[in-house]
Amino acid sequence: MRHQFIDKYAYLNSPVHGIDPRAKVISAFAAIVIVVSENLDGEILHFVWYFTLLTGIAILSGIPMFFLLKRVMVVVPFIAMASVFYPVSALLEGKPVVFSLQDATVKAAIIIFSKSFISVTILVLLTSTERFHRLLMALRKLRMPKLICGISAMLYRYIFLLTEEAQRTTLARESRTPGKLKVSKISVYGNQAAVIFLRSWERSQTIYSSMLSRGFKGEFPDMHQLNLRVNDVLFSAMFIFIFLLIRIWF
Amino acid sequence: MPASVSIENLTYSYTPGKPVLRNVSLKVAKGEKLGIIGPSGSGKSTLLLHLNGVLRGDGRLAIDDVPVTGSSLHEIRRKVGLVFQNPDDQLFNPTVEEDVAFGPLNFGFSPEEAASRVREALRIMHLDGFEKLTSHHLSFGERKRVALATVLAMQPEVIALDEPFSNLDPAMVQQLMEKLSSMDTTLVIVSQSILPLIAICDRIAILKDGEIIAVDQPKKLAGNQELMRSSGLDIEYYCKICNDLYCGK
Repeated sequence: MRHQFIDKYAYLNSPVHGIDPRAKVISAFAAIVIVVSENLDGEILHFVWYFTLLTGIAILSGIPMFFLLKRVMVVVPFIAMASVFYPVSALLEGKPVVFSLQDATVKAAIIIFSKSFISVTILVLLTSTERFHRLLMALRKLRMPKLICGISAMLYRYIFLLTEEAQRTTLARESRTPGKLKVSKISVYGNQAAVIFLRSWERSQTIYSSMLSRGFKGEFPDMHQLNLRVNDVLFSAMFIFIFLLIRIWF
Repeated sequence: MPASVSIENLTYSYTPGKPVLRNVSLKVAKGEKLGIIGPSGSGKSTLLLHLNGVLRGDGRLAIDDVPVTGSSLHEIRRKVGLVFQNPDDQLFNPTVEEDVAFGPLNFGFSPEEAASRVREALRIMHLDGFEKLTSHHLSFGERKRVALATVLAMQPEVIALDEPFSNLDPAMVQQLMEKLSSMDTTLVIVSQSILPLIAICDRIAILKDGEIIAVDQPKKLAGNQELMRSSGLDIEYYCKICNDLYCGK
């Protein structure tokens, strides 16, 4: 069975990977707030600068750009749809819309798209440069409720369990399907979905038993404790400062 | 120091009115290796889950005279390590190291102590250098060994193993048998592979329809063809094949 972990490249050894996850979480969320605070009639060029900065960090981290873009592209259709609705709703309200960069509505739509695109890129970069459970540890240290962290950690593991069961049942179905399905597709896929959920639920129960038998009390321990150094604080401050600089001065 | 296991009149049902275990009573001495055999669905795995309190039925169960209750679970789980049949049910962390360290860290050992236990457990299972590997990229046999290492790292006094020999190649079965034989820990092994159990266990119990119907020394038990046949565990057929192969009879 093969599946891609969200944090596939989180095990690389780069200056970005070495930064304490708390510094990365704070930097990422501050950057998102700054980006989201851009006015709809603001400068499109700001987003080019933001993207350039993020590209620089991605290169420094050693994560293949193709991998990052591929993951960002997963949400691009949804962002694009939301952005397109802005001029469409203006048209429906009878407002004049000229499809040019000079048009305020079109510009606003591009800025909505860019805000979302940059925010997602920041999150993808964050999850690609730090292991998921260490991000949760950082969030826990930053006073995120224990219950939410616990649920997120379980969910993260459950996704892979679900994927594995889906792969197994698909393999079983395909091995007995020469060519096209000759029975009702709806009933076959419906039954398969039900089986996937039942099997993954049962397996998750067993895994939970295995966790309990090894002393699990609701939190995933880590051998490597978090260690916030001066360099991490400096990185965080510098990162947020550059985003602010772009937002205010350019 | 290994611990003893004492089970008295244990009854458990998943569905009301359909007990999977019926008045099971069993004692395992310190350092003893007890095998539990029985047909599929006889309640073997359910019995194992009771040993460290994952399931709790009616009756009395004690590890080293410490009764398995809600308040003693922490101590019990420290004493009893459970190795599941399917290693994929046991390995849920991204790397081998994190999985093996999970138990020791949960029981409050320092990261340094946990790291040392991880190294030792992996060394015992001949998995040196596997620390940073991703568990689900390993072969089934390797995952089985990692699953056993996750329990060895806790240095439990009792190890309960569910089908440890299933899906392993003969060489791997032999290696695992040698490993288990050399352990001083109290072992409770549930398996359908009767021959390895005969070779390594001090005693074997037969569980049928949720009841213990016989407990005896392996050779005596395996020699009672009537009992083995009536329990659906007859190994005469395998012995005949071995005879044909190696003795030319």
